[in-house]
Amino acid sequence: MIYIIDHKDSFTHNIVHQFSKFDKHVECENFNEINYNKLKKANVIVFSPGPGAPKDYITSSKIYRKFKKKKKIIGICLGFQQILYNENAKIIQQSKIYHGFQSLIKVTSNKSLFEKNKVFKVGRYHSLKLKEPFFAKNFEITMRCKISNVAMTIENQIDQIYGFQFHPESFLTENGNLLIKKILSA
Amino acid sequence: MKKNYYLEKLYNSKKPFIIYKVNGGYDLYTDFSEKVFLNNKNIFNFFNKIEKIKNKKIFLSLYIGFFGYEILCNLNNVKIPKQKSLKFPKSIFYKPETKIQIRKGITIKSSHKNYKELFGKKIFNQNSILSPFKINIDINKYKNIFNQFSKKIKEGKTYQIKICTKYKNKSLIDPVNLFWKLMKTNAAPESFMIRDKNFSIVSCSPESLIEKKGNKIKTKPIAGTLKKTYKTNMRKALSFFKNNIKETKEHNMIVDMERNDLSKICKPGSVKLSKIKYVEEYKNLYHYVTKIEGIIQKNIKIKDIIVAMMPGGSVIGCPKISTLNLLNLQEKESRNIFTGSFGFIKFNGDMRFNIIIRSILNYKNISEIAVASGVVVDSTHANEFKENYIKAKSLIDLYK
Repeated sequence: MIYIIDHKDSFTHNIVHQFSKFDKHVECENFNEINYNKLKKANVIVFSPGPGAPKDYITSSKIYRKFKKKKKIIGICLGFQQILYNENAKIIQQSKIYHGFQSLIKVTSNKSLFEKNKVFKVGRYHSLKLKEPFFAKNFEITMRCKISNVAMTIENQIDQIYGFQFHPESFLTENGNLLIKKILSA
Repeated sequence: MKKNYYLEKLYNSKKPFIIYKVNGGYDLYTDFSEKVFLNNKNIFNFFNKIEKIKNKKIFLSLYIGFFGYEILCNLNNVKIPKQKSLKFPKSIFYKPETKIQIRKGITIKSSHKNYKELFGKKIFNQNSILSPFKINIDINKYKNIFNQFSKKIKEGKTYQIKICTKYKNKSLIDPVNLFWKLMKTNAAPESFMIRDKNFSIVSCSPESLIEKKGNKIKTKPIAGTLKKTYKTNMRKALSFFKNNIKETKEHNMIVDMERNDLSKICKPGSVKLSKIKYVEEYKNLYHYVTKIEGIIQKNIKIKDIIVAMMPGGSVIGCPKISTLNLLNLQEKESRNIFTGSFGFIKFNGDMRFNIIIRSILNYKNISEIAVASGVVVDSTHANEFKENYIKAKSLIDLYK
C-alpha cells in the first residue's frame, strides 16, 4: 500500500492517479489528518508537493524521521525538500523562480537508477531549492537542471529514499510514469 | 434580439427569469415554483434532496442558480474574515416551470397551461446612472498588494494569485436591455442573466467549469488573453501564446491544477487532456484554452463534484487552498458572486456550471463589476492593473 501525505497542494491528486497505475491500494490524506493505522500498514510513504517550506510541516518531518529506513520514502517538490531538510540541508530561495516551467534535466551520477547523461523534459513548480554543497550519508544527487545545475533528484538506494524537485506527475513531464515505476520496483 | 409577443410581455413585467447561453441561441427559464437560498447549513441537504428525487423525468427537472464565492470557500473549509458586504445572498437556486428556447425561432414549454397570462403588473425600466464608476483599489494600493503577494511567491506560499479589483456605481438598470446590448458585442459561450425582484446579474462569462453528462465530466480552463487588433489572427494569437513564457507558465499551472481537481472525483487513469493549448476567438479578444475530461468514479455525490471543482482554479491561483487563504486575509470587501459559479443541476445528476467573471451585479441600486488578474513571478503591477481595467471596460461601456 502507498500512503500519500498531502500538504494541501493542487497537484497531489495527479500523483494519486499516477501511483495508482502501479499499486491498486493508494491512500491519500492531509498532513494534519494522518491516519496512523493506515500509515503503519503502508510499504511506501510519499510526501506531496505543497505551499511554503519544509519547516512549516512539523508532523511530516516527524513521520520522515520515524519511518526512515523502515519504509520506502518518496518526496516530490516540497516533499523532496522535506527529506533534505531532515537530513540537515538548507532550503533557500532561488533568484530565478520556476512555476509551470518545462525544462531539461540530466542524469549526472552513475549511482542513479537511471542511465548517466540521459536527458528528461520535466515540469517544475518551485520557489525554493537545495543549498549546496550538500552531503548526507548514502544520499546522492543524481539529476540536475541542464542550465542552472540546480539539484533535481536525490537517491538513497541503501535506505530506499528518493526525491524529485520537479513534478513527475505533471503533463509537462515526459516519461514521468517510467520514473515512478522504476523507483517503486527498485 | 428576437421580437416576440410573449417575450416582450415578459421583459416588461416584474416576473423573475434567467437566460443562459447555449449553442446556437439562448434558453430562458421562468415561472419559478421554488426559490432556495443556500447557506452553510442547508447546502448539503439541498444536494441530498436532489439525489433522492425518484421521478427524474418530471418536466424541467433541474435547479438553476448560482453559488457565490464565500459559500464555495466555506465548502473547502476556508473561512473568510469579516469584510465590508452588501449582504447579498450567498447562493440561490430556482426550480423553473417554463422554458423558452430562443433560437432562429422561439419554442415555449411550460407545466402551466395558462403560461401566456402569467405576467402580473407591467413595469417600465429605464437605465439611469446616479453616480460614475469608482474603483475600490487605486494603483498605489494595488502596487502594495502586488508587492506583498510577489514576496509570498518567492517564499513558495503561492505560485500564482489573482488580485481582485471592483468598479462600482449607483444606478437603476434594466438588465434585459444591458444583457442584449452585451450579447450583440460579446455573446460569450457561458453568458447568462438573472432578473429577480431585488437584484440582477448580467454576464458574458467565457469560461466553462463543469459539463457533466452521465459519468463523463469536462472542464475548459482559460488562461491567457490577447486583445484583438487589425494585425492579429488565430494563427498569430497561437504563436503569441506559445512564445510568451509568462502566459505559457500560467496556463501550464492551471492545466495541472484542473487535472488535479478532476482526479479527486474521477477514475484513476481516466483524466485526459482532450485538446491541449489552443486558441478560441471572441469578438474583441483571443483566449488560450485547454479541454480536460474524465470519467467520474462510482459513489461520487453532487457535493463531492462541487467541492472538488469550485471555486474554479483558473480565477483564484495555485495551490488553491493556500491561495484562497492569502486572498481572504487581504480582501476587505466581499466578492459576492465574482469567481463563484452559475449553472444548473439536473435531477439525474447532470450539470453545467460556469465561472462567474465579466459580470455585473446590481443590488440595492449599486452596480458592481469585479475583475482579477494574476500575480506570477514575472508580471508587473502596472500591467496587471491595466489588464484589470481592460477586462472591466467592455462592461463599464454598457452604461454609456
